[in-house]
Order: sequence, then structure tokens, then C-alpha cells
Amino acid sequence: MVHQKGKDWQDGVKSDEAEFAEEADSLWRITLGPLIWALHFVASYGTTAAWCAKVATAFEPVPGLRIGLAVLTVAALAGIVWVGWRAWRQWDFTEDWDYVNKEGENEDRHEFLGHAAFLLAIVSFVGVVYVAMPVLLIESCR
Amino acid sequence: MTSWRVTRPGIFAPCLLLLLLPACDGPQSALAPAGREAELLADLFWIMLAGAVVLWLAINGLMFYVTRINVGHMPRRLAEGIIIGGGIVFPVIVLAALLGYGLTLMPLTRVPGDGLRIRVTGEQWWWRVEYWPEGAEAPVVAANEVRLPSGRRTDIELAAHEVIHSFWIPALGGKTDMFPGRDTLMTLEPLTPGVYRGQCAEFCGESHALMAFQAVVLPEEEFADWLEAEAAPARPPSGPLEAAGQEVFLAQGCGACHTVRGTPATGAVGPDLTHVGSRLTIGAGTLPPTAEALANWIAHPGTIKPGVEMPSYDELAPDDLAALAAWLEGLE
Ligand code: HEC
Ligand SMILES: [Cu+2]
Repeated sequence: MVHQKGKDWQDGVKSDEAEFAEEADSLWRITLGPLIWALHFVASYGTTAAWCAKVATAFEPVPGLRIGLAVLTVAALAGIVWVGWRAWRQWDFTEDWDYVNKEGENEDRHEFLGHAAFLLAIVSFVGVVYVAMPVLLIESCR
Repeated sequence: MTSWRVTRPGIFAPCLLLLLLPACDGPQSALAPAGREAELLADLFWIMLAGAVVLWLAINGLMFYVTRINVGHMPRRLAEGIIIGGGIVFPVIVLAALLGYGLTLMPLTRVPGDGLRIRVTGEQWWWRVEYWPEGAEAPVVAANEVRLPSGRRTDIELAAHEVIHSFWIPALGGKTDMFPGRDTLMTLEPLTPGVYRGQCAEFCGESHALMAFQAVVLPEEEFADWLEAEAAPARPPSGPLEAAGQEVFLAQGCGACHTVRGTPATGAVGPDLTHVGSRLTIGAGTLPPTAEALANWIAHPGTIKPGVEMPSYDELAPDDLAALAAWLEGLE
């Protein structure tokens, strides 16, 4: 398989340290999708528990809570789409059709982290949708 | 390399399942629903099962396809289509549809009741039951049996005394846990009059498995009549044997733990016995309500129900025991 390297990377003379330092950012970025998912999860459950304990009574509908969490969900999904989009660009799949980036060179490492972040963004997106469904479909605190 | 031979267990397993199917009927089956909630849950079960079967067949079908049928090189697009379509997109859609369907049922199982409220407290190992008709100041106290009017929605308030229990009448609805110090709520709308069986569904100690009860669904007027009778004090002894039985009851100090309204016995440690003779079982679903079984129970409850919180009265004279049992049986 032919590897077409991006031109910034052509020389490949950077030391490993410099390269790792540069890649630290994208290492952090791969956690962003799951992190948004986790925050959305905690916020959804926490808010619902507190709301049902303090604000609403058992059978009362809770439109305020549901609208609030719908907005939060849309924001979380937008965040994940943004993370996923950046990861997709970093993976750069459609440019070189390099699926696995298995060479272990700098560019491969960079694109692999993009690939991983992209897949995690998909999982996180589905996770957020599934977490949000109960809150959006349940009418009251019962 | 392919082996199509179906092994013997492979044939027997489906046959065994067929044999087990009749077991889905009966007084304690979520698949033989007799109430609104139970109907929803039974539908939910069958639809979830169908979804699971579809997913199982599709995923295993694809596995079969790629490992047995199309084993050679596969065009990349097809391979990725199978993985992404069959492994991600299809399950995500099916699971989202099942989840969405399941969740839309939840509000339907949580509709408020329309008058009667029942409070059930889990004890070790029996059920304290209080009926609060609309506007009542004081409850009608009973035990070890739950009676409900059919076609009406009853609020059921659940509590527990010392440990967690769980209240479950599979033929009428889902189960709800009972916690010490925290009330939980459920509502049930039974539809078909009949006698169903309930069972404690959360391990609560030695005799957890013997903590059951009968759930009796009555047409509305019959229920009203029954509740009126249940609210009345115990009937006076009908003959000399029964009168002697009541004497024994009071002399032995049974009244320290049991209430029989209309007598000096007002204990609240054990089940209310005012109308114990009209129950369909005694010992929380353990024995039939006959004089013989009552005598047996009183003489050695701990043998019948390990760890029971009632002392044995095996030193009672046989005559006294018989009189006591006869009186209790007559408390209808
Ligand atoms: C220390 C308290 C205590 C004393 C004293 C006591 N009981 Fe009990 N009794 C209980 C408890 C607790 C239960 C429930 C046991 C269970 O089902 O787990 C019970 C259950 C029963 C039941 C079955 C009720 C039902 O609804 O199934 C009968 C009948 C009964 N007792 C009769 C008697 C008689 C008669 C005496 C006196 C000879 C007596 N008890 C003395 C605590 C007591
Ligand atoms: Cu229990």
C-alpha cells in the first residue's frame, strides 16, 4: 500500500521527544468525546435526581426539566460532532485511504490518534442519545 | 471443513423449550397477564424477544456468511459494509427502537390511582396490609393477602420494617422494592377477577422463599362488601369449643403480638388475625387455612418457616391446641 505523507512530515527528522510533545494534544483530544458523554450522563442523572427530590412531586409533569435536558443534550451532541469532525480530519482517511496507519512513524501515529478519537466520538454520540432517551420520554418523576 | 451435523443436544434443546411453555401459564406468571401493567409488560417481553432474535439471527447470519459461505477474499467495500452496517448501524437502530418503545411504556405504568390506597409493609417474613379507602381516617388492617377491585386503579404504597423486600404479583404488574425508612409507590389496575400469587422478590433472610401471598381480584361491588366485612371486628365464638379457643389465645399471651379486633388482643408484632379464617393461606402463602394446619403452625412455626419470629407452642395440651385452631379457623 502506498503511503502519501503530508508534506510537513516529509523530512521525518524530528526527535521522538519533540514528536511526542506535539502529539500530547491529540492524546488529550481522544478523551474529549467520552468525556462529554460522561459529563452529560452525570448532569442528566444528577439534575433529574435533585429536581425530583426538591422541585417536583411524584405525578406532576416536569416540562422544565425535560426541556433543560434536551438543550443540554443538543449541546453535548454538537460538542461530540465537533470533536468527531476534527478527529476525522486528523485521521485524514479520504486523503490517503490509509486505514490502519500501521507503520508507527510520526504521521501514522498522528493519524491513528485521529482514527481512535473519531471512533470514540461515534460511540459517545450513540451513548449520549441512549442516555437522553429516558429523560425525554418519561413524563413525570414517578 | 464445514460441519453441518446437528448434535443431539441441538435437537433436544428446542423440544425441551416446547415442553416448558405450558409453565408460562398459571397464577404467578408475567406471561399470563390479568392486569393493565402486566399486559404492557408481557407485550414488552415479546417485542424485546423478537428484537433480540432478529439481532441474534442477523449477527450470527453474517458471522456464518463470512466464516462458512464467503470464505475467500472479499472486496474491501463489502467487508466494511458488513462490519459497519451489520455490526454498528443495524444494532444501533434496532436497540434505539426497542429502548424508545420500552421507555414510552413507562408513563403508562405510572398512572395515579383513582381512590383506594393500600399500604403494604414487608416484615420478616410476612406482609402487613392496610386499606385506606378514599377519605378514610383510619386504615382497615389485614395481613398476608392483598385484595383489589378489578377495573379500578389502586395506589400501592410500599414500605419495609427491618430489611429490604420486594413486592411482586407477576400476573398483575412489575415488581417494586420495599425499603426500611423510605416509601415507594406503585399503582395496579387488575382487569380479570381471580386469585393470583405474589412473592417477595428480594432476598430478605432465612424464610424469604416462604414469604408469599395471595392477590385476590374481585369485581368492584364484591370488593366493597369484602372491605366492609374486613373492617368489622372479629365474630364472637360460635360454640363452646371456639370460646375455649379464645380463652387459650388470651391466656397464652398471643395477644402480645397479634390483634384480634373485638377482643383484648391488640399486639402489632405479628399479623392481624381478626379475619384470619377468611384468608386463603396462612403463614404468608405457606399453609392452607384449615384447623389442622393452624394447629400445626401454632405448635411449631419454626419447623414450617425457619427463623420465624413467633415462638413454638408445642407444650400446649392437644385439646387446647384444637380449640385454639377451631376458633382461629372460624374467624372469617
Ligand atoms: C413474639 C410474637 C408472637 C407471639 C407471642 C405469637 N405469634 Fe403468631 N405470629 C407472629 C409472627 C411474627 C407471625 C408471622 C410469621 C411469618 O409468617 O413469618 C405469626 C403468625 C401467626 C399466624 C399466621 C397468620 C397468617 O396470617 O398467616 C397465626 C395463625 C398465629 N401466628 C397464631 C398465634 C397464636 C395462636 C399464638 C399464641 C399461641 C401466637 N401466634 C403467638 C408472632 C407471634
Ligand atoms: Cu421478603
